[in-house]
Amino acid sequence: MQITIKIFRYNPEKDKKPRYESYKLEAVETDRVLDLLEKVKGYQDGTLSFRRSCAHGICGSDAMRINGFNRLACKTLVRDTGAKITVEPILGLKVIKDLIVDMEPFFENFRSVIPYFVNDEPEPAQERLQSPEQRERFDDTTKCILCACCTTSCPSFWANEQYLGPAAIVNAHRFIFDSRDRAAAERLKILNDIFGIHRCHTIFNCTLACPREIQVTKAIGEVKKAIVTGSLE
Amino acid sequence: MKPRTVSISQRGFDFETSMWLFTRLSALLMYLFALIGMVGALIMGARTQMNLADVLRWTFMPNPSHVLNTNVPDLAPWSTVFWKVMGSLFVFFATSHGLHGLLSVLEDYISRVWLRKSLRILVVLVTLLISVIGIYMILTS
Repeated sequence: MQITIKIFRYNPEKDKKPRYESYKLEAVETDRVLDLLEKVKGYQDGTLSFRRSCAHGICGSDAMRINGFNRLACKTLVRDTGAKITVEPILGLKVIKDLIVDMEPFFENFRSVIPYFVNDEPEPAQERLQSPEQRERFDDTTKCILCACCTTSCPSFWANEQYLGPAAIVNAHRFIFDSRDRAAAERLKILNDIFGIHRCHTIFNCTLACPREIQVTKAIGEVKKAIVTGSLE
Repeated sequence: MKPRTVSISQRGFDFETSMWLFTRLSALLMYLFALIGMVGALIMGARTQMNLADVLRWTFMPNPSHVLNTNVPDLAPWSTVFWKVMGSLFVFFATSHGLHGLLSVLEDYISRVWLRKSLRILVVLVTLLISVIGIYMILTS
């Protein structure tokens, strides 16, 4: 089948403002949008810039807006997009070139929630044990690949990039509810901030956008509840 | 194994959290007030003496002047302190609930600091004005 792919283009060294360019190419239904971008770059226009790495939905590099929805290009099939495809960079972050955005504000927010295991208690003789139920408590949020699909689909983040955003809260959730971790109070304090969790207005865009199908809004709700009640169960 | 908890002093409970919680609780309280108002209207004889608009008027603003044109024979017993307090509380919670909503919108969408601060003051003043007028009307009618 013939595909028309319209791509957002912007080269700050040449273009005064962004533009769109359309490319026609042959594809099959099981091709991914990433395959089409590779074909455009390889055979039609070598100047096209986009991020990609593993190409299997794990590294989170190729998040982009495909037909208006935040998706991973490597997980989106032509079968699901139809023959006319529009590809744009994710919103709310500064475009560096074409489909590449500056991810630094996103990662800055991520780093601010202490997204790593903290426990200063003396190490036990063996590993720190955890029951299957305790592990299950935060299982969903361990799946985050930091692709930024959720955060850049959030209107509160579009409005103000100082808002920590769903991805940072999801990664805080992953450790707050980990029975072995001891820094939940610090994280809750950080999320209590004026640009913290209360900027979430339960819009659910993040849940719809997550390519890992994490129940993002639910996780944010659980953190809100922990802030109000103090319970980490 | 004892449940994991974090005390208020450890986790903090600042103005943002308080207002977030207040907005949610005030919404629930308004549902409760509306329910009480509707039950009041039914006891007043709404089923035979009022139309739907009158019932809703009493439900959301239980003030005898709002149901003057109904067929309820005697409104005097309904002009009590209880209903005045109910009406005043409804106005207070409705305006403060709405105030926090508007402030959230301003925080989200107005990036220029001077404009955000000015609008914040304006919204607070307008809300106070509406509350005072509303409560004054309820208490004096």
